[in-house]
Amino acid sequence: MKNKSIARVCDELLLHIQCDFVGYAFQDRIGPNIRWLVAAGNRNDKYKRITVRYGKGIAGRVISTDRPMMIADFPNNILGKALEYPIMLAENLLHSYAVPIHLNGIAKGVLLVGERKNKRIFEEEQQKSVQKAAIKIEELMNTHLDEDRW
Amino acid sequence: MESLPSRNQISSYIIQSQEEEIKRIALELHEGVGQTLYSVFTGFQFLETSVEGDSLKGYIHEMGELLEKTIQEVRLLAVELHPPTLTTLGFIPALKSYLKLYTSTYGILVDFINDGTESRLPEHHRMTLFRVCQEALVNIAKYADSLQIEINVVWKSDCLEILVKDFGKGFDVDKEVQQSAGIAAMIERMKIIGGNCIISSVIGEGTVIKLFLPLQS
Repeated sequence: MKNKSIARVCDELLLHIQCDFVGYAFQDRIGPNIRWLVAAGNRNDKYKRITVRYGKGIAGRVISTDRPMMIADFPNNILGKALEYPIMLAENLLHSYAVPIHLNGIAKGVLLVGERKNKRIFEEEQQKSVQKAAIKIEELMNTHLDEDRW
Repeated sequence: MESLPSRNQISSYIIQSQEEEIKRIALELHEGVGQTLYSVFTGFQFLETSVEGDSLKGYIHEMGELLEKTIQEVRLLAVELHPPTLTTLGFIPALKSYLKLYTSTYGILVDFINDGTESRLPEHHRMTLFRVCQEALVNIAKYADSLQIEINVVWKSDCLEILVKDFGKGFDVDKEVQQSAGIAAMIERMKIIGGNCIISSVIGEGTVIKLFLPLQS
C-alpha cells in the first residue's frame, strides 16, 4: 500500500520533470543496508536486487551525510570508482540528483532522479520539484507508520 | 655468467608480492583493527546498561550503532581485499561467495555451474583464477549492460576450464586488447601460471571469456 503510493509520486515526478529514471531507496529495518524499493522509467529489474552499503554509492552517501548529491557526466569527476555507483551502471545513467528522505527527523531514505542521454543536468527548478516529491514521500511514510509497525 | 630472470618471472614476482601485501593488510584489518573495534563496541554496550539518564543512554546507543556499522565496513573491506575462503576452503567456495556479493551489489543474476571436483591448486594459482574471474565480472558490470551471466567451471583430469558468458553489448576484442590494461592483465596473469585466456565477443550479442589451466596429475 505504502510503496504503491510512493510509486505514484515517482511516476508523477518522472512526468513532471521529464527525466528518464526515478528511484526510491530506503534503509532496512534491521541493519544499515539500503535497498531500492520503487522505480519509474527503469530499463530492467536490477534495482530490486541491489543492496547498498551505508555510506557507499549515491544512496549510501546521501543518507550518511543527510545532504543532496549531484552527479554530472558519470563516470567522469566522481568520488571513488564507477563501481561504487551500481544504480548509475544498472540504469545506464549519465546525470543524477538525489535527496534524503527523513523518518522521525533522521535520514533513512533517498529519492533519485536520473538522465540517460547527454541532455541538461538537473537545474534549480527540477531540484526543487525533487525536494517537493521527497516531502510528499515523507508525509506518506508518516501516514503509514502504523502499517509498518504491524 | 648467470642469466637474468625472465619477464614472466619478474611479472610473477611483482604480482605475488602485491597479493601478499594485500593479504597482510586484509588480515590486519580483520584480526587487528576489527577485533579492537569489537572490544570497544562491547564496552559501549556495557556502558549503555550501566548509565542512568535517557539522553546519555540514547547517545551511547547511537555511538554503539555507529561503531557496529564501522565494524561491518572493516570486515567487508577485509573480505573484498582478500577473501579468506580462498586460502581455507578453495577457489570454488571463494568464487561462489563473491558471486553472491556481486549479484547483491550490481543486480546482475549469475547462473553458476561447477562440473567435477576441485583439485587442490597452489595458492597463487587459486588467487590468479579468482582475480581474473573478478576482473571479467567487474568489466561486465561496468561496460556490458547485461542482465545475466553464465559461469561454467569444468574440472577435467588434466585441465581446468572456466567459461564466463554475458549477454550484453559486446565489443571489438582486437581493439580493446590493444587499449585496455584490464584485459591485457587478465591474459598476462593466466600466462604466468601456465594457462590461457581467450576472449571472443559479438556486438549486440555478448562476450565469452574462456580460461584454461593445465592440471598436474
